[in-house]
Amino acid sequence: MSSILHILKKEVITAFRNKRTIIFMLAFPLVLMLVLGSALSNAFDKTVSVGEIHVLYKSSLDKNAAPYFHTFQQYAEKSDIHFEKAGKNTDGLKEVKLGNADGYAVVNGRGIRLYTNGRNSIKGSILEGVFSAFTDQYNLAAEVMKTAPEKAGAAFGKVKNNYIQTESLLPKKQPGSMDYYAIVITTMICLYASLGSSTLIAGERIRKTADRLIAAPVRKSSIFIGKLFADVFVYALCIALLIVVSKVVYKANWGDHLPLVCLLLLTEIIFSVSIGIGVSMFSKSAGARAILNIFIQLASFFGGAYFKIEHAGKLQALLNLSPLTWINQAIMKIIYNNDLSAAIPVAAANLCIALLILLISVTALQKREGL
Amino acid sequence: MNVLEIRNLTKKFGDFIAVDRISLQVKEGEIFGFLGANGAGKSTTINMIAGLLRSNGGTIEILGKNIMKNKRFAKMNLGIVPQDLAIYEDLTAFENVRFFAGLYGLRGSELDAKTREALAFVGLGDHHKSTPDKFSGGMKRRLNIACAIAHQPKLIIMDEPTVGIDPQSRNYILNSVRKLNEMGCTIIYTSHYMEEVEEICTNIAIIDHGKIIAEGTKEQLKSIITDKKEVRIEVKTDAADAAEIRKIKGVETVSVHESTIRIQSDASINNLNLILEFLISRHIEIKALQEKEPNLETVFLTLTGRNLRD
Repeated sequence: MSSILHILKKEVITAFRNKRTIIFMLAFPLVLMLVLGSALSNAFDKTVSVGEIHVLYKSSLDKNAAPYFHTFQQYAEKSDIHFEKAGKNTDGLKEVKLGNADGYAVVNGRGIRLYTNGRNSIKGSILEGVFSAFTDQYNLAAEVMKTAPEKAGAAFGKVKNNYIQTESLLPKKQPGSMDYYAIVITTMICLYASLGSSTLIAGERIRKTADRLIAAPVRKSSIFIGKLFADVFVYALCIALLIVVSKVVYKANWGDHLPLVCLLLLTEIIFSVSIGIGVSMFSKSAGARAILNIFIQLASFFGGAYFKIEHAGKLQALLNLSPLTWINQAIMKIIYNNDLSAAIPVAAANLCIALLILLISVTALQKREGL
Repeated sequence: MNVLEIRNLTKKFGDFIAVDRISLQVKEGEIFGFLGANGAGKSTTINMIAGLLRSNGGTIEILGKNIMKNKRFAKMNLGIVPQDLAIYEDLTAFENVRFFAGLYGLRGSELDAKTREALAFVGLGDHHKSTPDKFSGGMKRRLNIACAIAHQPKLIIMDEPTVGIDPQSRNYILNSVRKLNEMGCTIIYTSHYMEEVEEICTNIAIIDHGKIIAEGTKEQLKSIITDKKEVRIEVKTDAADAAEIRKIKGVETVSVHESTIRIQSDASINNLNLILEFLISRHIEIKALQEKEPNLETVFLTLTGRNLRD
């Protein structure tokens, strides 16, 4: 353990003494945020009209619950969200796919299943937010009914007044250009951590210090873990600084759930560092950098790091392949929809991929002669 | 007592046998010269002793313990001065030595004290706050040594520690090697500079094509070639044809390097007149002629057929 800490400490010192780390992880993204956030602010006009939202629904609620859903519909109508009961032979999913409806809700005693069209993420996000607010507060009221039925009226009354004021409906809660670029540039820089990590082990070979490390009475795994943790720590610190500066100086909106967003970004850093290590284990230094550069550029482009991509049509599949698409969407949902659960699949994917790559890398390292 | 004992050590890279069942012993207090041309198996052997390569056969014991079964013990008692500078340019001299010494379990004030001691030993005490990028080649070499000795190992392997440095730094390093030895360290020393090996080593082994072909003190090695004599001739041009000279009676090996011809002959045959006649007949003007006593370089050339720098 003390060997790991000893190695970690040295790695952190050398990382922060390296001017390239500071320039690349802090100065470059801050300039990029400023340039793109200012130059492309027109693309993020907050006054853009969403227009009417049409929702098809099928309801099989009992007579106790149906009135609340009906009330919900009435309030939603005031915000131009129009509900239309789907006919017996109507295929709601197909209607959404074809763009004839913006959402299709199947409502029954077990809950609400909402289908939205990914091609219009704003309308879809609004619907998700509205339905999420309704179900949250309906669940609250249902719990009150179970435990203190006499206070149910008050609970439902609150539902009636508030559920439509979900944050996603408020125009000022849509990302402005600086808000958007603060997020996507930060996640892109997280991915760039893989480039630095590609020299984590290979760098020792290049500097010829690898032999000295191996000749010392320290396990290879200790060297590996020490370096891995140090890299994650260094990049996490850089990203934290990036968030603070973008929040304080650029007034970027990082939402009300910053610790969760930070945790999600941490999983992306772990993912990136493991990708960097993994690629460098199985290709030579220059080759590893080339592979990672291509990967980062493609992932950044398709992840919307340079331009916001919507209505991608057939390219949507490519967009969905980018790890930056996953995390950017999740962060947007957390910040603008209060959808905290969006963090779970992305964090799980990041950590599972990282774990797999790291296991393969450690096994390969143990079998290898030297570092 | 043997600080290092190698028995039937073998290393193969595919079909190529880099080290072929070599055995040798290094006794406590020795400065052991390990000589071999490039590709002879010298670095492979050193790397196996240091635990950087796995052997395909044989055993290595450090202080009587098998290094495979007692890895930590072996590593704790071993210091490596690699041929290539193995230091971090972003760390100061102090931090470099401190980091590597820390890998050997030293911590706190003991670590700081031994770091300072090692830096002072190599004459870098006043430069402990400087980073290596501000150092001369000789200073970097000395830092390279300090990183290997701070944890005070019993056995130090120095692989070409003086390569590419000025004579002053070289002398400093050679004196440091002697001092370390006086302090009780056993040293395995490799160099392409034969005069260095001749000057400081007490025992020497020569490896060629993966095999130890000679081993002993300087005197013992020189005695191998008492039946040889060597003459060095300085000529004005570099037109001498080694193949032609080799045809002269008694000549065994000839090497021509710029304007110097080195001829090794059978000591029992007096062929100096024949050699001079040959050069005159080819209109090669002679500037100087010297009959050389056999030295390690002659021994190496005789045994391996090539120069150490080849």
